[in-house]
Amino acid sequence: MTTTTTRPAPVADWVTINDLYADPYPIFRRMREEAPVHWVPAVNRYMVVSYDACHTIEQDPDRFTAREQGSLMYKAMGHSMLRKDDPEHAVERAAYGGVLKPRAIKESWTSVFEANTEKYIAHLKEVGSGADLIRHFAAPFAAANLVEILGTLGADWHDMERWSQHMIDGTGNYADDPEVWARALTARDEVETMIDELAPHYRANPDHTLLSHLVNSGIPMEAVKANMCMSIGGGVNEPRDAVGTTIWALLLDDAQREAVLGDPPRWADAFEESVRWVAPIGMYPRQVTGDTVLEGIELPAGARVGVCLGAANRDPQVWEDPESFDLTRAKKPHLAFGGGQHFCAGTWVARASVAQVALPRLFAEFPNLRLDPDHAATVGGWVFRGMLTLPVQWA
Amino acid sequence: MATITFHHEGADDDVVEVPEGTSIMRAAVTNGVAGIVGECGGQAMCATCHIYVRDEYLDALPPISDDEEEMLECATAPVLDDRSRLGCQIKLGGGLTTVEVDVPASQV
Repeated sequence: MTTTTTRPAPVADWVTINDLYADPYPIFRRMREEAPVHWVPAVNRYMVVSYDACHTIEQDPDRFTAREQGSLMYKAMGHSMLRKDDPEHAVERAAYGGVLKPRAIKESWTSVFEANTEKYIAHLKEVGSGADLIRHFAAPFAAANLVEILGTLGADWHDMERWSQHMIDGTGNYADDPEVWARALTARDEVETMIDELAPHYRANPDHTLLSHLVNSGIPMEAVKANMCMSIGGGVNEPRDAVGTTIWALLLDDAQREAVLGDPPRWADAFEESVRWVAPIGMYPRQVTGDTVLEGIELPAGARVGVCLGAANRDPQVWEDPESFDLTRAKKPHLAFGGGQHFCAGTWVARASVAQVALPRLFAEFPNLRLDPDHAATVGGWVFRGMLTLPVQWA
Repeated sequence: MATITFHHEGADDDVVEVPEGTSIMRAAVTNGVAGIVGECGGQAMCATCHIYVRDEYLDALPPISDDEEEMLECATAPVLDDRSRLGCQIKLGGGLTTVEVDVPASQV
């Protein structure tokens, strides 16, 4: 018989939110070396930093519920399926139908990604060498694609980007800043009003968009609205950040860039390695349903945990030289898209729009693309992480 | 109980016993069978539980759904017409209490 020793989580009182925002990876590394799970007073939750522990949580919703009490997402976006467990979650997931899946992408969305790539390449050229790849390409590209997929008629990419950012900021507003709430609630109100206005149109004229599927699925309007808000929140940030981080990584390393430019199928590898290296969603919450033990660490009932995908994806137990971007590394399943019931519904949209369409076209159009030597790129975030600015030259 | 044999290229077989009603993906993940990931937890969303079912068991399989077929097209390893399935979509039980499958070289 084996006896397992368990222990309370170490207290990581040395971790600050500012340090996490600037660069979470040295913090994750130090934490991981000490224990797979820590209590972190600065974020008022347990942070889970090993691959195995994160993976266990994803696959065990009975012990780790998505229905987190007091989640700020309820206020910022409404109660979407992201904060529900099966079987409740499965009903709303089913309402999405095939809208975000490979067949619909091939039939309806790839042409949208291609058109938007051309449109925002033209925009980059108007701005000229020295443009910011995030502001002048990645953000409008991701937001404009989302307008089409969601079917938010009458909204443009500026609306979409603003709604997304403001609702995301509300979801992460742990400081309870009233101005952040005001912007988030305005965005939510605008989205909900738009849905009320468009619902009769889609009931009478169903089509291939997400909003059409949701209003015709039979789920309550409250759920339609919350899931639309959640899809707006995730649908801009994540593909935008995947574009930005991948380009940054390739511009930092000539050998990596040459590896992919000489071998087009390698764009998929570059994309997967990029989201492993810097997971756009770095942390998401779960709550412990009853006293339990995770990888030897005791967790009390009701404990709030942060599943740190950004840390899991750099666990040296799984990857050799995990801190480096290397698209030629041995392929292993990363956790950037999450796993289990909540495996990212937008995974295939991100892969198609970013890896199959936008990145190859950009590098073909700008063979001399390089980092702007006079304006350093900036990166930030830990709950959501990506390039803040990416000034580039190509002339 | 039902029995699943996972054959691996160049490694020993895994033979697992599972209650009827368990999917091939869940059986693999629960028993730590190498080479089957099951990222999406069984929703036919990720194509990381691709397996090749051995010929003698093909007739006992449930028919392939549109969702499964769509996702199989995204599998990393080569797709074989009759033998390729998603492990999450095949539950043991009824006429299928024993099955043998080959695990592909890659899921990602």
